[in-house]
Amino acid sequence: MTDQVDQRVQDAVGSTDVPDTTISEILEKNPELHGIGNYEYGWADKNDAGANARRGLNEEVVRDISAKKSEPQWMLDLRLKGLKYFDRKPMPTWGADLSGIDFDNIKYFVRSTEKQAQTWEDLPEDIRNTYEKLGIPEAERERLVSGVAAQYESEVVYHQLREDLEAQGVIFLDTDTALKEHPEIFEEYFGSVIPVGDNKFASLNTAVWSGGSFVYVPKGVHVEIPLQAYFRINTENMGQFERTLIIADEDSYVHYIEGCTAPIYTSDSLHSAVVEIIVKKGARVRYTTIQNWSNNVYNLVTKRAIAHEGATMEWIDGNIGSKVTMKYPAVYMVGEHAKGETLSIAFAGEGQHQDTGSKMVHLAPNTSSAIVAKSVARGGGRSAYRGLVQVREGAKNSKNSVVCDALLVDTISRSDTYPYIDVREDDVTMGHEATVSRVSEEQLFYLMSRGLAEDEAMAMIVRGFIEPIARELPMEYALELNRLIELQMEGSVG
Amino acid sequence: MTEITEKARIGAPAIDGFTEEGENLSPANPDNSPLAGASAKSHSHGGGVGVPDSSRAGRLTSYKVEDFPVLTGREEDWRFTPLKRLRGLHTQALTGAAPSVAVTGPEGAERPAGITVETVGRDDSRIGSAGIPEDRVSAAAWEAFSEATVVTIPAESSIEPAVGISVTGSSKDPSAQHIVIVAEKFSKAVVVLDHKGSATVSQNVEIDVQDGADLTVVSVQEWDDDAVHASSQQAKVGRDAKFKHVVVSLGGDLVRVTPSARLKQTGSEVEMFGLYFADAGQHLEQRLFVDHAVPNCKSRVLYKGALQGENAHTVWVGDVLIRKEAEGTDSYEANRNLILSDGARADSVPNLEIETGLIEGAGHASTTGRFDDEHLFYLMARGIDEKTARRLVVRGFLNEIIQQIKVPALEERLTEAVERELAAGNF
Repeated sequence: MTDQVDQRVQDAVGSTDVPDTTISEILEKNPELHGIGNYEYGWADKNDAGANARRGLNEEVVRDISAKKSEPQWMLDLRLKGLKYFDRKPMPTWGADLSGIDFDNIKYFVRSTEKQAQTWEDLPEDIRNTYEKLGIPEAERERLVSGVAAQYESEVVYHQLREDLEAQGVIFLDTDTALKEHPEIFEEYFGSVIPVGDNKFASLNTAVWSGGSFVYVPKGVHVEIPLQAYFRINTENMGQFERTLIIADEDSYVHYIEGCTAPIYTSDSLHSAVVEIIVKKGARVRYTTIQNWSNNVYNLVTKRAIAHEGATMEWIDGNIGSKVTMKYPAVYMVGEHAKGETLSIAFAGEGQHQDTGSKMVHLAPNTSSAIVAKSVARGGGRSAYRGLVQVREGAKNSKNSVVCDALLVDTISRSDTYPYIDVREDDVTMGHEATVSRVSEEQLFYLMSRGLAEDEAMAMIVRGFIEPIARELPMEYALELNRLIELQMEGSVG
Repeated sequence: MTEITEKARIGAPAIDGFTEEGENLSPANPDNSPLAGASAKSHSHGGGVGVPDSSRAGRLTSYKVEDFPVLTGREEDWRFTPLKRLRGLHTQALTGAAPSVAVTGPEGAERPAGITVETVGRDDSRIGSAGIPEDRVSAAAWEAFSEATVVTIPAESSIEPAVGISVTGSSKDPSAQHIVIVAEKFSKAVVVLDHKGSATVSQNVEIDVQDGADLTVVSVQEWDDDAVHASSQQAKVGRDAKFKHVVVSLGGDLVRVTPSARLKQTGSEVEMFGLYFADAGQHLEQRLFVDHAVPNCKSRVLYKGALQGENAHTVWVGDVLIRKEAEGTDSYEANRNLILSDGARADSVPNLEIETGLIEGAGHASTTGRFDDEHLFYLMARGIDEKTARRLVVRGFLNEIIQQIKVPALEERLTEAVERELAAGNF
């Protein structure tokens, strides 16, 4: 097993001119890397820009980022305000252990190519290779996705939107370009859902954000095929601070998909994104994430949506990778008959802590929300559901249901549930339910008596457990999720 | 609109109740400090800095007040409690006269034969046998009490009828109280702690349920309207023992009961029940903890609450921890809240931490809502008028807890008390 891993790491890193001694040193110093063994997306490209980027954060760095992007003054002011809040807010004292983050050792801005490529062929070869490994060109060729905003390091390098969507008035850009081209929309919505001082990591993102996607769907437009963006962290200690803003105008519909992968590095990296979504009257937005960061990434993301009258917001949130994830997608239902929904799946393997959940805030009458959270912990991993459902005064006839299921497959893993329910209105219906179960001998015996090996049987049970969520995904994502689960489950038995 | 006001709007939050610093989810303790960053974050846990507690078992325990940081209201275990209404329990020395204690039979009847009642000093060996304070207010009481009441159920005895411990307050000065209940091996008894009068008291109740014992402890809070009561009731449960704990909180301005059961020997079984009925302005809080530290134990938790009136606030937090060693654990907890009128607020937090996969089963459930209209319809279709039907539904809802007490005279009294509550709310 170990030899195999060495070989794989060597193969992967071989192209980057790193001498073999370094690799063995890395593995020696970080025995936990052996455990990451089958991490399919673990490779690193040569990266000149990243090697030269500066580490640490201060006012100068923030001003420098803003100047390099030729931003308007108000954005610089907002960034500086974000920095101020970041400095003065304490680290969270709940949830996962974040003491391993060294803020002074992070590169806050890395520019990979000078300008955006117009076509696939314009991209530098190593970047193209990266995306081929991620499967993007196939997806593009087969028109499975309508646009690809591939976030390579801090800026989007490749961006194409199908022309018919453009003709409908749909804007799908990287956030930097969108700020230049549509400043009026930014002034209205930027920071309106997640204020600059919302929490320490949202403040950090506001200060140093770079890249991300901007989507605007005009009134009544239904985007039939999912919009897709891929994020990847490539530089060691590279912080990824993308900022996504989605506005669905009245009666429109859009499905946005975000996938994340990151290669293995020797020191821990930080990913701290902010996603703001405004769902206007009668519109519907679905936001799907499959997060598969490598096992040394701290993934601390703030995601929040406002749902206006009759609007529907759906979060589909898969957390497979990362060292630590703290992510609680939220829906604030501010208009009557608004709906919020979260489907969440967390898979915590060896050395991982998935602290995920959802937050539903009912601010208007006749609103309804549902949370379905499923988690699997194995190999000493820790998964937690942490959620808040709040019904404010006046939100009459609101309905909510929360269902959490946890599956335990061994004796050393851990599964926690921290649901907060706060009701300030009498005319409501709320329910929370959680079950924690383990894979029974009978289930295994049944499958094995039909000729399956024990680990295959275990993987099948886990797949069945998460099926209600997998079936909500587009096909290629469901397949990828299943593949990832299989990889995670390898060696889980015996 | 001028350009200046237009620009000032940039980055301004669009959600009601939001400021630039996000929202403050802990209105019980509004914090005006400009550095109140932590409170802006939802579910802030713990008060310290650094690495979060890895589980509920990691919480600080100490007999010394100074080991606990001064309360700010942002601590995870105090975030729902209005500290201003604690009347100094968390800031002052608890030097007031403690409520009087009288040990009797059920509802003031003659004390049953066979039990031992002692008043002992701080150095008695039984003090500290079942628990260590887990918060500042409890530690303050531990430091301040001068004498404790110890009630012992002798080994292998079966005590009939129930034992009543009446706690009657008459002073509003912050005071401390200590009570120890020991159920010796293979004994069987029901002990009712009955709180009445007016007091500002922090109380520690230690319950030692020894091997094979079968003990029920009922804690009834029927205080006067102005009482403030913080009660830490910690039980240590021995091998094959059965422990049932019932909390009934009806009266008092602020009542905060924190019962815990630590299962330290295999084969034991714990049931924890609770009933609370909050009227306008009342704050009734219950935070329980079931600690499964050994294999093959069972726990069941059910708390039911009703709320009526402006600013009636109930808090229920149920922590269940199944440790690594606790294989074969069977656990379930549930909380049901019935909100009878506008302006009330119910918080419900059923936490579950599981550190091993080899369990029989674990789960929790929480519901909060108003009446089930179908129940009403069913009764009204049988000719019962709406008002009576509503009362019947509430009575039935709460009776599930009352009938667990098994002391007929007390059950009757509590049923009447619930009726009075409903009548007072003109329900």
